[in-house]
Amino acid sequence: MLKTRTWIVLICAAALVSGIFSIRLLTGRRDRTIVEVVQDGAVIREIDLSHVSGSYSFTVTGSDGGENTILVEPGRVCVTAADCPDQVCVRQGWLSNQTTPVICLPHRLILRVQGVSDGVDGVSK
Amino acid sequence: MLRWRIPLLFGLLLILSGCGAASRPELCSTEFFAMDTVMSVRAYTTDDAVLSELPALVGALENELSVTKEGSAVYTLNHNGHAAMTDDAALLLSRALALCGETGGALDISVYPVVRAWGFTSADGSYRVPDADELAALLQTVDHTRVVCEDGTAYLPEGMEIDLGAVAKGYAGDKVAAYLRERGVTSALLDLGGNIQTVGTKPDGADWRVAVQDPNGDRLLGVLAVSDQAVITSGGYERYFTDEEGTLWWHIMDPRSGYPAQNGLISVTVVGDEGLYCDALSTALFVMGTGDAVAFWRTHRDFDMLLVTEDGKLLLTSALAERFSPSEELPYALEVIDDA
Repeated sequence: MLKTRTWIVLICAAALVSGIFSIRLLTGRRDRTIVEVVQDGAVIREIDLSHVSGSYSFTVTGSDGGENTILVEPGRVCVTAADCPDQVCVRQGWLSNQTTPVICLPHRLILRVQGVSDGVDGVSK
Repeated sequence: MLRWRIPLLFGLLLILSGCGAASRPELCSTEFFAMDTVMSVRAYTTDDAVLSELPALVGALENELSVTKEGSAVYTLNHNGHAAMTDDAALLLSRALALCGETGGALDISVYPVVRAWGFTSADGSYRVPDADELAALLQTVDHTRVVCEDGTAYLPEGMEIDLGAVAKGYAGDKVAAYLRERGVTSALLDLGGNIQTVGTKPDGADWRVAVQDPNGDRLLGVLAVSDQAVITSGGYERYFTDEEGTLWWHIMDPRSGYPAQNGLISVTVVGDEGLYCDALSTALFVMGTGDAVAFWRTHRDFDMLLVTEDGKLLLTSALAERFSPSEELPYALEVIDDA
């Protein structure tokens, strides 16, 4: 009897945890804009733009030692400085939509809005 | 014993409902840097290990085809005037040369020294406008008909250099798509630095919705419904610089003049079954300009295209018009290309 109860408690606990995670996954991110900072294919930082009240910046260092400085303001984000030769990411300005990420090829850095944009699977460009 | 099995079963079902059953294909994705761009692949598969092979597959291709990587077949060919080609390099070079001929030289893989003279091959953005004498001298070495590829060895005349950049990403897309199909994937979307290639349809059988970038800004021109096809765009907006006099020069060279192609088009999107073909044509049609591009389509009809002209028109082949949903308040006059 004791063994059965232990099982039931364990299963209910697991179900509760999975339920909470499911609800968070399904509803939590709908109305928020989350920007991902991706380095060499791995998400190293997530910024919830709807929760940014002041502006701040931070610097990320790539595996090659290259640096990008990222500026975060309420509702928007951009790369303000990079020690790469082409400066493409800096000139790109604010990350403005879900389809065009800000990319620094030399440092393998991407700033992008999480998720797929409304009804579009990809953008040919 | 049976009494606790039922709640156990319900419990397990609840836990599994959060992430879906493993026997059904799930969305897996990967993203990696290759061929000087970002590549991302989304595939529906039961075996997420399928995608882990892709960076190595594309990386190996890049090591054979890159114009800048020492030791690649193309690099060796450019530096020695002859080189043993790998299977992929030989196949791509032969196909590229055939397409140079087919497009009447609007695509010419030997225009590389001209592109370099303009600074478009360097990573440091040191662009310049070469003077007319320099371009005339460089154009002497631009002639795809003098490239020879026989029995796995390629030969170039003195001073000539080639670059397969206009077709390599399209070819890589074909290889990746073929690999995924071989591994049983029936639903995938590849984004190889803006070259979109699709495998099958979406899992629910619907077409993939592939948007096309507006060459005049961040907006989208509209959305194309496609399946099992490539959608590849060439545009002046991808890479350009402005000189001291304020003239804008972009990276797509006209191999006949040695100057960036200015023949009335600002963006060309080609839709077709093969990435290599679409990639080559997107560049070639851009160089041709509207009139010749439409004439080329009329005599071939094995692809579809969407052209954006300098004077504000958006031209589509009729089959594509049926699959195109334009964005609202589009600042272009939409015209369907006459089938006749």
